[in-house]
Amino acid sequence: MNPWQVVSPAICGRRAAPSRLRGSISFKLRCGFAVFALLVAIGAASAQTDPGVRSSTGVNAGGPLPDLSTAAAKFFDNGETRFETPEVVSGGTNNGLGPRFNLNQCSTCHSQPAPGGSSPNINQYPFVSVNPESQVIKNGIAVSPPNSIPSFVLVNGPVREARFPFFIENGQVTKTADGGVHDLFTVQGRSDAGNCVLAPPNFAQAEQLNDIIFRIPTPVFGLGFMENIGETTLIDNFNSQIGNSFGISGAFNYNGNDGTISRFGWKAQNKSGLLFAGEAYNVEMGITNELFQNERPNPDEEHNFIGLPSSCLNLDGAGYPEDSTNFTATGPAIPSDIVAFGIFMRLLAQPTPQPQGYSTATTTVTAQSIARGLSGFTSVGCATCHTPTLETDPSSIDGDLSGKPANLYSDIEIHHMGGLADNVMQGTAGGDQFRTAPLWGVGQRIFFLHDGRAPDLLTAITDHCLPVATSGSEASQGSEACTVVTNFQNLPPTSGAANTVSQQDVLNFLRSL
Amino acid sequence: MATSSRLLAVFIASALLPLSAQSIVSSDSRPGVPNNPTPGSIPEGALLVKGATSSASDSETALPESGSVSNNTYTNRYFGLSFPLPADWIQKSPGPPPSDSGRYGLTLLTPAPALKGLAGGSILITAQDMFFTPDPLTHASDLVDFTKSHLQGDYKIEQEPSDAHIAGQRFISFGYGSPSTGLHWRILATEIRCHTLEFVFMNRDPQTLDRLVREANAIDLDSAVSTLSGAAQDDVPVCIKAYASAGNVIERVDPLFTEHRYNPVPVRIIVGKDGRIRHIHFLNAFPDQSKAVTEALNHWKFKPYIRDGKPVEVETGIMFGSRAPRLAALSNPTSVAAPAR
Repeated sequence: MNPWQVVSPAICGRRAAPSRLRGSISFKLRCGFAVFALLVAIGAASAQTDPGVRSSTGVNAGGPLPDLSTAAAKFFDNGETRFETPEVVSGGTNNGLGPRFNLNQCSTCHSQPAPGGSSPNINQYPFVSVNPESQVIKNGIAVSPPNSIPSFVLVNGPVREARFPFFIENGQVTKTADGGVHDLFTVQGRSDAGNCVLAPPNFAQAEQLNDIIFRIPTPVFGLGFMENIGETTLIDNFNSQIGNSFGISGAFNYNGNDGTISRFGWKAQNKSGLLFAGEAYNVEMGITNELFQNERPNPDEEHNFIGLPSSCLNLDGAGYPEDSTNFTATGPAIPSDIVAFGIFMRLLAQPTPQPQGYSTATTTVTAQSIARGLSGFTSVGCATCHTPTLETDPSSIDGDLSGKPANLYSDIEIHHMGGLADNVMQGTAGGDQFRTAPLWGVGQRIFFLHDGRAPDLLTAITDHCLPVATSGSEASQGSEACTVVTNFQNLPPTSGAANTVSQQDVLNFLRSL
Repeated sequence: MATSSRLLAVFIASALLPLSAQSIVSSDSRPGVPNNPTPGSIPEGALLVKGATSSASDSETALPESGSVSNNTYTNRYFGLSFPLPADWIQKSPGPPPSDSGRYGLTLLTPAPALKGLAGGSILITAQDMFFTPDPLTHASDLVDFTKSHLQGDYKIEQEPSDAHIAGQRFISFGYGSPSTGLHWRILATEIRCHTLEFVFMNRDPQTLDRLVREANAIDLDSAVSTLSGAAQDDVPVCIKAYASAGNVIERVDPLFTEHRYNPVPVRIIVGKDGRIRHIHFLNAFPDQSKAVTEALNHWKFKPYIRDGKPVEVETGIMFGSRAPRLAALSNPTSVAAPAR
């Protein structure tokens, strides 16, 4: 239907104006504006839109597994406390921060909608906080100078880590792949950092050279379930995708130590929650630990054999690693921080979906729409990669993790994503490959995709098939998701009276997770 | 400003407000969330970090993934395929790189944006290298049957697999739909050079779908290429699965990988009439892996393949690196179960 045929006669037709006015420029302009405004209004009223963060059902993530033993619950509580404890450089009870770091506390990055989640925002339920990275100098965690808040860290934006795809030398981007994390801040100037003199990276230069990409925190809810999905289950699921009609063909990322399928992180580069914790403790907070025992320079310092200045080493005077097993403690206090973090994450329950309906700040969603959305989600092919459920293996850790359905909405495979490419390789995942992001808990998330570029779910879906970009003489190739995105776009925007499955239903379903 | 103009301005502004508050924001103008620079912004000459990807030992020999759309026609020299796009259709996206399980998404076609509506639909052209599928899946009909048997509960079969003949070639036609969404799919599958080539038509409107499928009769296949197992003439070799077995290989050197990455490395080779390998196609390999495999394969020698008393070229596949998970798992076909949904 051409809407102009319906709208324009009523406003601008012969009966709408005297004949002396019909041909005048002002009349045509007015009619044009009026029709445009009407179309915009109609479009705004009927177009599909992300309903927003689910708020009427309370916080539906962040609790422990439901049937934890009393002993295990003590370890969970202890791990959560440590997860939420700020670290300092020296002189406190939790030392070792820096010399380079992004933030000083696990739960500041992993906080939406509860500890263990992702980037928070002050404006959206449960109103956790402004972007904590944007407050680092204000709160005295880093000192300016030499530190400053990079332009890509915004009060209402996501927490971000920065990576440079290629090394920069003499003000020019080289052809040598970097890909590592360049921490945003240093401890220089802090009263507990001695005489450490260490400049932060030149992010303005990297931005000017277009040699910077971002990552946001991945939620860790249900981590124990993901750890305990067996190789055979993953391979069977992989096999079931043969012959799909959507052009999808994933692959696995493999752990370099034992050759098994790795599964955590945006590119499935990490094997376990413990490894994930150990790496983050060192890379994001600069705290050496039993998995990563040495202070970490930024990638260019390592690449150029510069390392860290001696004035910034062993700042708390206790030697390395800065986090280790507490031999003189008792009970849950004995494990090192990274082990405690691992326990906390492993025993976190999976987020609880709300298929019965919910409300957000702007709308109310019915169970009927959610059910239609699930059907649409499967039919258009989303579920081919976002596998709704995989069963866990028997678990020696807790019965709650043993032989249970993990409703993660992921195949844990890596897929070619075309224009989303970030030119960072991790394990066997190339620059355009990303793990299928688990969707459990997505109903209460704010920022989407690996760099947080998508502020709503509709954008996140369409960005699965971004136009293919070129680089010099080499072109990146298309996304595996393009056919599914096209199928989604062939659903009507809204259901209307016929109650057919619509794009809106799919969005409503996703916010129920 | 006259009263009527002020009212109009207020009206327009109020109409625009919901857009700014709720609707999709273009990827380049999201306030507060600056984007990553795109790969296209990387300085001229910088290499894309591709990881494992496809490559070949020469640029003259056609590859499955090297088809393209021009003059409203998708052409693919490897498959001898020429597919005229429906009127006013375009390529929405080229395919992703070949997978390590031998899957190609060759191209995705949709109506031009100006024509898109709810009945827009799409045509996806894919290929599956049957050298790298598990043993129970040997032919195109096996793959179609597998698709049929693994349809989820949301789908309903609308057309049982049946034979069709297009461009002198046997195709299998299969159709299904999703009653809840009103989307319908038709698959035309055929076998060329030991690949299953599939045309997947999707549309909301069954009549449009039928018309598009009928128009597929305009597919042109080069008879010198499009035989099931290769024509063994001109530059099209005969294709034989598992030809690189002990009985056929006279000299063999295994590649020495300097880094153990655990990924499968599927390789298609063409063995010349003299028994030496004249072409290597890496479907998916890291550069160091393709270098090591190339160095090894340069030392391989096969028994010449004889047909009608004359040596002919042979195309076959070899899996280096770790075994593809599918190959490993399907040694027990019953393990291929649909996952819990």
